[in-house]
Amino acid sequence: MSTEIVSHFIAGYPDMESSLETARGLAEGGASYLEMQIPFSDPSADGPVIENACRLSLERGCTVDKSLELMEKIHGELNIPVFLMSYGNILFARGMKSMVQQAKDAGASGLIIPDLVYGRDEGLYALGKELDVPVLPVITPTIPAERLDEIIGLEPEWIYTALRSGITGSLTTLDESNLGLLDRLKPLKTKVMAGFGIQKAEQVRVLAPHCDAVVVGSAIVRAVTEAYNQGDRARNAARLIIEDLLK
Amino acid sequence: MSVYNDYFGPFGGRYVPEILQPPLKELELAFQEALGDPEFIGEFEEFCRDFIGRPTPLLPAKNASREIGGAQIYIKLEGLANTGAHKINNAAGQALLAKRMGKKRIIAETGAGQHGVATAAACARLNLPCVIYMGEEDIRRQHPNVYWMEMYGAEVRSVTSGSRTLKDAVNEAFRDWTANSADTHYLLGSALGPSPYPDMVREFQSVIGREIKDQADFQIDAMVACVGGGSNAIGFLAPFLDQKSIKMYGVEAGGRGKGPGNNAVRMADTGRPGIIQGYKSLFLHDSDGQVLDTHSISAGLDYPGIGPQLAALGKEGRIEFTEASDREALEALKFFARTEGVIFAMESAHAGAAAIRIAKTMSPDQNLIINMSGRGDKDIFISAAALDGENWRDFLEKESRRKYVD
Ligand SMILES: Cc1ncc(COP(=O)(O)O)c(C=O)c1O
Repeated sequence: MSTEIVSHFIAGYPDMESSLETARGLAEGGASYLEMQIPFSDPSADGPVIENACRLSLERGCTVDKSLELMEKIHGELNIPVFLMSYGNILFARGMKSMVQQAKDAGASGLIIPDLVYGRDEGLYALGKELDVPVLPVITPTIPAERLDEIIGLEPEWIYTALRSGITGSLTTLDESNLGLLDRLKPLKTKVMAGFGIQKAEQVRVLAPHCDAVVVGSAIVRAVTEAYNQGDRARNAARLIIEDLLK
Repeated sequence: MSVYNDYFGPFGGRYVPEILQPPLKELELAFQEALGDPEFIGEFEEFCRDFIGRPTPLLPAKNASREIGGAQIYIKLEGLANTGAHKINNAAGQALLAKRMGKKRIIAETGAGQHGVATAAACARLNLPCVIYMGEEDIRRQHPNVYWMEMYGAEVRSVTSGSRTLKDAVNEAFRDWTANSADTHYLLGSALGPSPYPDMVREFQSVIGREIKDQADFQIDAMVACVGGGSNAIGFLAPFLDQKSIKMYGVEAGGRGKGPGNNAVRMADTGRPGIIQGYKSLFLHDSDGQVLDTHSISAGLDYPGIGPQLAALGKEGRIEFTEASDREALEALKFFARTEGVIFAMESAHAGAAAIRIAKTMSPDQNLIINMSGRGDKDIFISAAALDGENWRDFLEKESRRKYVD
């Protein structure tokens, strides 16, 4: 089975056009899925790399409407599923239902909203069912057993597993403490994407057999930032990093 | 009112990622259990008496009342609490709770530095290592408090993300807690954030209102407090909420005036429902949900959200919200210093300013209490610059040329 990568990028970063170019590069490099983050002013589950990128994106004029337009464009142009990641307040402020509908209309394959957990979700999970948009629970290896059972019981299409007890951006070690959870989820019908701190091809190789797709985030943002600041094309940088990770 | 509510009408809740749900549940249970344990209450009371210096006085402000010519004004002098503000009540309660829970490390956010100073002092007394997150911008503005926190043995970590102020320090503290909740307690400084914080902070701050119940040998007609996140206001008001004859006022920062970025008024038509930093309440954010900048001369009121219980009480009409501008706060600072020999913290001066207006509409046989949540020593760099610019600049220039060490 070939390795599937979910590659994360931020709408409007480094600028609107370059985020589209980034998405193109990620697809060309061989990513199987995209995860587009709509920037939020207070992304408390993200580390400094992504937070900074979100701030710059907003300063450069990115809005939710522009992000959704970008998603629609990517969805139409690239033959690749795109998940939408953001924070609860972006949905809540715009109206839960209209935002889920708009995400669906823009072609989102699923919604990743880490601070709206099942049971404290402002109706997100019910709306996902009603409008047929998968909502991805985000869990970590520290999750209590009963809670894990509850989430598995939802029979979501995907579960998003953050591999360590922290925030995005620093290197994660892969061992029994996190791979154990993945092996527990493996037999289920629910598919699992796993990430947080994945930066090297070697990690991708270790992780891939334990899940359905490996999520890469900060490493891409870092590569794109570096290229952009040197006047290089975001598209090439994005393509190269995925190619490297798949080596 | 129960000790643990979680929601207050439409507001409150616990909107955090899955990973922070178990530590918040642990805290919810530990806090409820501790409040039911006479031994814990005894420890808290001892700390309040021996260290904080409680009870704080309720001062009859006779000169001020005479000059204003309306209600009789009383001032609850929370600023006389050790470390200079009400913040220590909550810091002490939570630090004692953390110790009881077996936590080995404390983290906290701070804006102006008052909560950071209180937390660092409580941790010094209880021998708990502590890390204070503070925005880079606030570190620049509030250097004296950084100095005190470090003297108490705290590590002050500069936060360089976002607007580099209080809300970013909160985000950073949550990030730390996400990675370290097993041995670390996050000592949040106001009556907001995910549950159980709004409930827990209210309970520890309610010592303010409970003391007033003992001290006030007169009928209370009105109570006035400033509202940043809402901890001094809710602690002052909560014990009186069911006494419907008392009119209650919350005072927000009117800043430079109307318009986004000029103030921190959330309870007028400017604040809209949102879910930010773990709780649902009224916030200053745009139609996309992006948090807006705020401004106040007082760092403690310069925050885009308001505690969920106060937001609910405001919507229900139990508490009336009003605002005071930067300039009105400075005027009130001068007024109470001149008439009563009391220097209000800049935050509390907002309550003072509104109280002057409100007292004028009342009659001399009525009584109004202001919560002076803090004293103004900490603000000297701000108040002196605003009120006595030339002389103060001269002084600072001379000071900066002085040789400190040789
Ligand atoms: C003296 C004083 N009053 C009021 C506040 C505002 O906070 P809260 O609304 O939680 O009482 C602060 C915050 O730093 C403060 O230092």
